[in-house]
Amino acid sequence: MDLSINFKNVTYIYQPATPFAHRALSDVSFSIPEHSYTAVIGHTGSGKSTLIQHLNGLLRPTSGELTVNDQLITTTTTNKELVKLRRQVGVVFQFPEAQLFEETVLKDIAFAPKNFGATPAEAEKIARKTAELVQLPASVLEQSPFELSGGQMRRVAIAGILAMQPQILVLDEPTAGLDPRGHQEIMELFAQLKQQQDLTVILVTHQMDDVALYADQVIVLEEGKIMAQQTPRKLFSRPEWLHKHHLDLPHAAKLAFAIQQQSNFKFKELPLTEDQLADQLAKWLPKEGSSN
Amino acid sequence: MNKVLLGRYLPGSSFIHRLDPRSKLILSFYFIIIIFLANNWLTYLFMFAVVAGCILLAKIKLSFFWKGVQPLIWLILFTVVLQILFSRGGTVYWQWGPFSLTQTGIISGIYVFFRFVLIIFMSTLLTLTTPPLEIAGALESLLKPLKKIHFPVYEVSLMLSIALRFVPTLLDEATKIMNAQRSRGVNFDTGSLRQRLHAVVPLLIPLFVSAFNRAEDLATAMEARGYHGGEGRTKYRVNQWRLRDTLSMFAFLLVTVIMFLLRTW
Ligand SMILES: Nc1ncnc2c1ncn2[C@@H]1O[C@H](COP(=O)(O)OP(=O)(O)O)[C@@H](O)[C@H]1O
Ligand SMILES: [Mg+2]
Repeated sequence: MDLSINFKNVTYIYQPATPFAHRALSDVSFSIPEHSYTAVIGHTGSGKSTLIQHLNGLLRPTSGELTVNDQLITTTTTNKELVKLRRQVGVVFQFPEAQLFEETVLKDIAFAPKNFGATPAEAEKIARKTAELVQLPASVLEQSPFELSGGQMRRVAIAGILAMQPQILVLDEPTAGLDPRGHQEIMELFAQLKQQQDLTVILVTHQMDDVALYADQVIVLEEGKIMAQQTPRKLFSRPEWLHKHHLDLPHAAKLAFAIQQQSNFKFKELPLTEDQLADQLAKWLPKEGSSN
Repeated sequence: MNKVLLGRYLPGSSFIHRLDPRSKLILSFYFIIIIFLANNWLTYLFMFAVVAGCILLAKIKLSFFWKGVQPLIWLILFTVVLQILFSRGGTVYWQWGPFSLTQTGIISGIYVFFRFVLIIFMSTLLTLTTPPLEIAGALESLLKPLKKIHFPVYEVSLMLSIALRFVPTLLDEATKIMNAQRSRGVNFDTGSLRQRLHAVVPLLIPLFVSAFNRAEDLATAMEARGYHGGEGRTKYRVNQWRLRDTLSMFAFLLVTVIMFLLRTW
């Protein structure tokens, strides 16, 4: 099976043929190879959420078409034809805790597997395993999801998607509103899962550090159009272009540029992560114990 | 979810848009009352002419008004069919037990259909040309005399404006939750009645939770900003009764007179 994603001239208009018509995607074409990690960046309202809702056919293109896992999605594709695709593509929405509804955490996590045909016993087994994966303490599994803290609710909601065991994982700002530690733990979890299960990951984010750390390629959206599709390294080596499109650099790269401006030090290769920055600086700084 | 047009505001600066919301509210209600004066083809034709005139003045495309009718079409047809089957009089074309198809039945069925369409067109015109909050404000202003009999005018109008304000928010929220549950394999569109009712639970529970949370947040925000009920509260937007409002009143009086004349044609 071909697990790649291909958009061909996809346009999406909200409420077409009314005065409220709004063109959220215009003539978008791109492909995402299987087993890759793609970051989608762009300002609020640039169409990121609209784009990813096409990936499991929640929205169908107003014109154009796309294929995901060999499934063609066009304007006329019906929900019925998409059942198979929906179990292969797990979507973690912005503020996914809004989807919680079951009496207990465990039941809520087991909800998707059950819908996709697992027996109650199997579903519970998967749910327990997934809860452990997202580091939920065993003590909360029998509690109501509405009694948990915000961070724990987020983990339950994410577990509810991971329990589907999808091949493509779509993440719409999955850590928005979490504390830095929760953010890091969850991002690491996704990276680890991608490694272990060879997932295709699509991440919508505002955090350039995450783009630098995890992504193989970046798609930049602006007003519903694709401005760039390239590797993070290429993208972040054009600070003027980023500035023009009001996009930020990763913290490490920002610091590197500042150092270059205020000293005679030249980085061999623009550092994108803290580790890369530290490595290059370490070579430059006088060795410990050496005389000065 | 976004297909419902009834209750949406279409910004503009036409004559109708600039009318005082109070006069629009009064005239819409008044129009609905005088529709019941219509009793023959000519009167219905005249009512349609009046609505068409208002729509023209509002500079809104007619297609919007048909869209307002569409979501209610089944309710309308159901009423029309009842009217046709249970009315008696004139030539009988067909009869079966209590049901019959008669000349009077068919004509009154058609009249009922017209009445529905007229009422929907007029109320759509009101909501398309007036922001919801101004409708609530107008209602408050018109109900003020009821304060004398201790009717909680201010509270009722506040409830109404909050409800109106949150209709689009809740629809958005419902769409979002439906999408999230669809992604988890819920099927809202097909299946038996039982299955469909079952599918609604994962939608309704989160929707209620979110509505209660919102209500709590709103209450906190209002208290934090010094809200203490309606007594002595001033208004940012003050309505002004102008010449055009008085003229509109006279126009509708004229319409009433013409209706009485046409009734006995
Ligand atoms: N349900 C909707 N109805 C109408 N317009 C919408 C709807 N959802 C989003 N939009 C509009 O489409 C544009 C893109 O929105 P979205 O995809 O949510 O952007 P992002 O996720 O990048 O912030 C925005 O201008 C937004 O206002
Ligand atoms: Mg978004």
